[in-house]
Amino acid sequence: MFKTFRFTRKIENILMLIFTAIFLIYISLSPDMNIDSLKGVLIIGVTVGIIYGLVAVGISLIYTGLDVVNFSHGEFFMIGAFTGLTVYNFLVDGELIYAIFPEAYGVVGYVIGLFFAFVLMGLFGVLIERVFLRPLTKKGGGYTVAGMGIIICGFGLSVILQNVAYIIWNPTAHPFHADLGLPINIAGITLPMTYLWMLVTGFVVAGALYFFLNKTKMGLGVRAVAFSKDISNLVGINVPLYISIIFGIACALAGIAGTLVGPTYQVVVYMGYIILLKAFASAVVGGFGSLPGAIVGGFTVGLFETACSFFISGSHKDAYAFLLMVVVLLIKPTGFFGVQVKMKA
Amino acid sequence: MLKIDGLVSGYGSVQILNGANMKVDAQSIVALLGGNGTGKSTILKACSGLIRSWSGSINFDGEDIHNNPPHKIVERGLVQVTQGKDVFPAMSVIENLRLGGFVLNSKQKLEDNLQKVFDYFPRLDERKNQLAATLSGGELQMLCIGRGLMSNPKMIMLDEPSAALAPQIVLDIFKNINRIRKDGLTVLVVEQNVRMALLLADYGYVIKDGVIKVEGDSKKLMYDDTVKDSYLGGGGTTANV
Repeated sequence: MFKTFRFTRKIENILMLIFTAIFLIYISLSPDMNIDSLKGVLIIGVTVGIIYGLVAVGISLIYTGLDVVNFSHGEFFMIGAFTGLTVYNFLVDGELIYAIFPEAYGVVGYVIGLFFAFVLMGLFGVLIERVFLRPLTKKGGGYTVAGMGIIICGFGLSVILQNVAYIIWNPTAHPFHADLGLPINIAGITLPMTYLWMLVTGFVVAGALYFFLNKTKMGLGVRAVAFSKDISNLVGINVPLYISIIFGIACALAGIAGTLVGPTYQVVVYMGYIILLKAFASAVVGGFGSLPGAIVGGFTVGLFETACSFFISGSHKDAYAFLLMVVVLLIKPTGFFGVQVKMKA
Repeated sequence: MLKIDGLVSGYGSVQILNGANMKVDAQSIVALLGGNGTGKSTILKACSGLIRSWSGSINFDGEDIHNNPPHKIVERGLVQVTQGKDVFPAMSVIENLRLGGFVLNSKQKLEDNLQKVFDYFPRLDERKNQLAATLSGGELQMLCIGRGLMSNPKMIMLDEPSAALAPQIVLDIFKNINRIRKDGLTVLVVEQNVRMALLLADYGYVIKDGVIKVEGDSKKLMYDDTVKDSYLGGGGTTANV
């Protein structure tokens, strides 16, 4: 019958290097190639990449913790963006902030919006996990037939959440006029403040997550539960509680990413769909289930996508992420940091 | 310390235990013996809450712990060390041990227990910053037992501590189990290595088809022919007997 075929790790890496080299040579032959455009692509690519990374980390966390792929994760991103927008508009329109911070009302409103998106989406995630996913995970989790049910439940949840957002915020595109100040000039590149916020907040959140997972007791518990629920039970970790915490953190990350992206585009009910797929591609490129891999994969996808749409053709922007994903799956199926994992749904 | 009455349990719809009765006195070592698939591990899993018990009662330290969530049982002081040498391979030895003390609230206690475990198993101290994946089989077993001791348990249940280990290491581990008992803990040890287990234990139970078939003083059990019969299931041979 079929023989499973895999390159050895060495050949995989050589092939990845060859692919990277061909890609770099190809874009360097582009007529648009010069040092300024390269700097621009690098900054934008990293900025977009950290957002993909944050959402991908959430997907990877849920994958390791609940043993399923959460297909409704994009909706948490979308509702997070709406939450940030609503809080920001409420604060700025209410003129309360003008009175206290007349100079920097936009920044203060935006920070509070980010905070609320983070906290409320975290709590919302815990609620969703307790109500919709708990009964399914109780039946055996991702390894069993019930795992298939959880995946379908994710799709259904995605549609339901979209429609709930549709009812609350109506289907029109909402502009997010975050008043964060004038664009600034970094190394000859004029960068809107929203991009700087994405960049800095993204790195701060990723760093905080790293600290949480590696230096705190709760983070140790999260890692333990993500690896094995049975051993975690034996050492006295409250596993159901920690599964809720994992889901909550993942959703909180998606929520803050949504509020960060909001001001650069628009906030629409349908925005969660494409980010889910891009983040999925990032997670696969970085190695599914690996958290550092998800961040690195986010950067890779962000840079690749930005470079391609700038140097090759901007009209196929959304296709490049998946092109990269297909190439990585062909050459290096485990992704950059992935290990061959046990079978999960 | 631990008292099991008419325990019935199993996996899914497959019933493994058909009303097992056991009693483990405080500060004793009790051996639970039996062949493959007789329900030894199932009893431990039911006690530590990993699987539900369908009927019967489990009484630990004067309280009913039947169908409590697993982390509550660990907090009460009943810890199970599983058979498969289950550790977190991507974490260092010391992180694995710290996880064992997850239910402890004070940092001081955690450090004290860490010292205690290193005292029992000096090998772990030498390798504390190594990844658990790089340990040998004997060291993994020491790590598992050490992790079990980290939460200050009153009683520890060991599932086949001698499985797949060299005789010299088994002897070393069994000496340490005896030392753990002398320090005031109660030990329930599930074994296939009958002779070694009975040499170590004060009292023994032999389980077959989900019920306790024979019980008695370990010195007496060692020369009991019925043990041999029920253990061998009326045929075949096992090198350990």
